[in-house]
Amino acid sequence: MRGIKKAGAKILLFFAVLLGKATVWLSRLLAKGKGSSLPGLVALRIYPDVLKALAGQVRRGTIMVTGTNGKTTTNNMIARIASGAGCAVVANREGANLITGVTTAFIKKATLFGKVSCDYACLEVDEASFPAVCAHARPDIVVITNFFRDQLDRYGELDSTIKFIRSALEKLPSAKLVLNADDPLVAQLKAPGREGAAVFYGFGERVRRPAGAGREVKEARFCPFCGFSLHYQYYQYGQLGNYRCTHCSFRRPKADVEGVRIQVEEGSSCLALFPGGKITLHLPVGGLYNLYNALAAFAAGLLIKAEPQEMSMLLQDYAPATGRMERYHYLGKPALLNLVKNPAGFNESLTVLLEAKNQLDVLIAINDNAADGRDISWLWDVDFEVLEDRHRLINFFVCTGQRAEEMGVRLKYAGVPLDKIVVEPRLKAAVDRVLCGPGQSAYLLATYTALWPVEKILAGRCQKERTHAAARMPSVP
Amino acid sequence: MLLRVCHLYPDLLNLYGDRGNVLAFLARCRWRGIPAIVHRVQKGEQVNFQEMDFLFLGGGSDREQNLMTKDLMRRADALREAIEGGLVVLAICGGYQLLGHYYRTREGQIIPGLGLLDLFTVAGPRRLIGNIAVEIELDGKSWRITGFENHAGRTYLGQIAPLGRVLAGHGNNGEDGLEGARYKNVFCSYLHGPLLPKNPPLTDYLIQAALKRRGLPFSLEPLDDRLETAANQVMLRRLGVG
Repeated sequence: MRGIKKAGAKILLFFAVLLGKATVWLSRLLAKGKGSSLPGLVALRIYPDVLKALAGQVRRGTIMVTGTNGKTTTNNMIARIASGAGCAVVANREGANLITGVTTAFIKKATLFGKVSCDYACLEVDEASFPAVCAHARPDIVVITNFFRDQLDRYGELDSTIKFIRSALEKLPSAKLVLNADDPLVAQLKAPGREGAAVFYGFGERVRRPAGAGREVKEARFCPFCGFSLHYQYYQYGQLGNYRCTHCSFRRPKADVEGVRIQVEEGSSCLALFPGGKITLHLPVGGLYNLYNALAAFAAGLLIKAEPQEMSMLLQDYAPATGRMERYHYLGKPALLNLVKNPAGFNESLTVLLEAKNQLDVLIAINDNAADGRDISWLWDVDFEVLEDRHRLINFFVCTGQRAEEMGVRLKYAGVPLDKIVVEPRLKAAVDRVLCGPGQSAYLLATYTALWPVEKILAGRCQKERTHAAARMPSVP
Repeated sequence: MLLRVCHLYPDLLNLYGDRGNVLAFLARCRWRGIPAIVHRVQKGEQVNFQEMDFLFLGGGSDREQNLMTKDLMRRADALREAIEGGLVVLAICGGYQLLGHYYRTREGQIIPGLGLLDLFTVAGPRRLIGNIAVEIELDGKSWRITGFENHAGRTYLGQIAPLGRVLAGHGNNGEDGLEGARYKNVFCSYLHGPLLPKNPPLTDYLIQAALKRRGLPFSLEPLDDRLETAANQVMLRRLGVG
């Protein structure tokens, strides 16, 4: 009986992988998107245990990255570190991070008979899908980046997202956690008495920056354990910083991997202190959040015994994924594309924008499809008010996408003069407007479903810059 | 002349871009040269509601709302007096529910409200989520306002008027076609998104009500609202009621 069952499972696995792969080819052939979720969906329909069967074959370990911001970048960095160490890696690099996307990553790597030959699986996992994905593929290492308010209509509220993750972690007592020490919402997840140790990463000093949006977005003003207010010695951005509870013993844990001597202009860099050494990490991209991602990847890399020196070199050549500070050129004018999806990330983008030293043309594309979050009220939690007296270097804001008009309203109430607000719902016309604007560089911000079309239009008009060349150039904004 | 805006518990009740409502009230005063300042009142801090001209009460997550309810209970009598005296109030989502008699959870637990308005709320089996359009009447003129709703609670009105009638979306409970509540100068709604910047006629109405209460001249000079109107139109068209 058992033999028959086993044979049945094998046949199902075969068909699930076969049809999954057929979907990969078909979607490539029809050029329908990037085919990063559909094959997994098809395979899971045929054989619900397909992910379990494929993920169970990973030889050395499964590393999952979850949290609100920085999942794709952190996961790609970890995959790069693991590959660089000579390991075979399965990774969902394109950011398809639901169970279907994770399954697709394995199907692409599997033979027709459902054999996966890999040392590490590096998986970016959506916060809400984390418990479900863990039920199929048990992680050995879980990296949690940060928790910010994101697409509320999909998840309910931030508190329930954290609750989901906490209960999923309780079912993984031996998994090692890599946690952001600077985010109290993440740091609280290290439960006392866990078998698996937690490794904390964070920055040991305040980053000095000329401009700063995000004074208003503070998710965690209150202690997650006792409800009393948290006292901050300083903030980095959002609720990230050096905090301690005014009542109980909860405080920022000491970071095992601690970044100091932070520098975020012209690329970014910091000195990483870790047990047994220190090393400088350089990134070709700017932004403090990217440095956070690098520190998380470095901490995860230490756990899989990657060489610090090697990791530093791999991170230095890190090429950003679509819309993560991608750089283009249009007739010599640099154009930077960045994904925005929640207040904390948007504030960071605004901060980079305000650090510009020359004239800028800005595009903001806001869609409200399911993947963007149908509720765009989060735009009112973005600190656009910093633009009120600092829009001098910005020629205009072209507002586009399905909610172009509302983006315009937001800027108006932030104090941006009406003659600098251009509403152009059509993406093509809007992109042309910023590329041909009088500024010395263009800066394009787009929500998830607006990102791909904007990128496509940009790619048609511009030359893309190779990242390691970018490292040697002065940063655009 | 100075209008005082009271933002109650801005750190606790700050879901869904609520502060946009305060920003809009202040901006539309400022653009007309009406001086206005905001008082951010936190848990445990003193406030005299009589001195305030506009009070904003937003929504929070369950945890945050519990932290704040106790604090607000202590202020219930003072708030009632101010409301009877014509204080202009805008309460959204959780703030709206809190002004009623009670909130009954899925488990049947009764969480008492301030009992300032004749309404009660019952948690429903699923959240009512989506874009919404509502027809409201201000000074005999009808307007179509738009926003986004996301609430598990179903609110039922007693002897109290609704804010308006649902044109598209769910409203108070998804059953009776009513949205929000209105009593004297108190306006309640499930529309966040937020409500005031996207719907300038309502914002201006609140400003006028605040000026009237102080016996100040209340005719407002018109502003250039083309952007707001365009955003409103886009949503009304999408919802098929444009």
